[in-house]
Amino acid sequence: MANIAAQRIKREFKEVIKSEEVAKCAIKLELVNDSFTELKGEIAGPPDTPYEGGNFVLEIKVPETYPFNPPKVRFVTKIWHPNISSVTGAICLDILKDQWAAAMTLRTVLLSLQALLSAAEPDDPQDAVVAKQYKENLEMFESTARHWTNIYAGGPDLNKDFNDKIRKLVEMGVEEHQARVALSSYNWDLERATEQLFS
Amino acid sequence: MGNCLKRSTTDDISLLRGSDSVRESSSDQLGQPYQEPIPAEDVSPVYYPSPSVSRSVVQLTEEEQVKIAKRIGLIQNLPIGTYDGCKKERECVICMVEFLVGDTVRCLPCMHTYHMKCIDGWLMRSLTCPSCLEPVDAALLTSYETT
Ligand SMILES: [Zn+2]
Ligand SMILES: [Zn+2]
Repeated sequence: MANIAAQRIKREFKEVIKSEEVAKCAIKLELVNDSFTELKGEIAGPPDTPYEGGNFVLEIKVPETYPFNPPKVRFVTKIWHPNISSVTGAICLDILKDQWAAAMTLRTVLLSLQALLSAAEPDDPQDAVVAKQYKENLEMFESTARHWTNIYAGGPDLNKDFNDKIRKLVEMGVEEHQARVALSSYNWDLERATEQLFS
Repeated sequence: MGNCLKRSTTDDISLLRGSDSVRESSSDQLGQPYQEPIPAEDVSPVYYPSPSVSRSVVQLTEEEQVKIAKRIGLIQNLPIGTYDGCKKERECVICMVEFLVGDTVRCLPCMHTYHMKCIDGWLMRSLTCPSCLEPVDAALLTSYETT
């Protein structure tokens, strides 16, 4: 790894762990290896969003050309959000692409991702299915996102109705996550989800 | 995303001469005269026609070569100085290392200062100040008009 990248990450790491956001448990950063090429990030779901109470783990890969190019970041924790792929965790965020600037840091990135959870941009989607639901049925989107937060990120809101529907599909031999994806994609319409899964 | 390609880590900035011949500079100084042209299969410098697009020299279109040549011209016009210890800024935000007296620095029109080596690597990808995002070329053009 180029010297400048490793040196920056070392300094940024020290800075982040001293930051007030870490003190408030809003963000977290851990080293994955000794060469400073891979880190594990964590952000708390912002208040008054369907992600509240959840903790979202991020995979951060630092390219050799850092800070001239942005870090590669992806959600490891499964999440239901228009700008994040519900399948791969890939993120659509301008600063991780063409709006990156060398003065930005991993702290900026984590805080921007947290801001993205508060303010989705459905017109610039990463996940078309989620974005469509967000635009057409915001309430359905919010309950679905809250349910995913509960299941995958340790969020507090248990949705009995959703869990029952998933159980029905699991009893029919469908894998649990697959059942959740199908139901989430079809606005929790059990009949349509079943049709799609067995077609 | 288009930035998954492997990139060269060299900080050297090679100059483009004309639109048909591409040569590698012998040092990392801008504006250095050229020696022998180096065959493309031996050295393949990587250029960034836009921040997330990287191409080796042989893949550049003529239009991109012109764009990069212009960019190098603009970078060369930015003032270079020696850090004397009395600047407001104490560290280079690109490498996050404190300036040492005697470091070669480049000062952008917005007055943000960086190590020359650090900022030139960035400007080859994007002609904006990494701190305030002010376009470097626009500022340069205005400063030409007023003088
Ligand atoms: Zn520097
Ligand atoms: Zn600036």
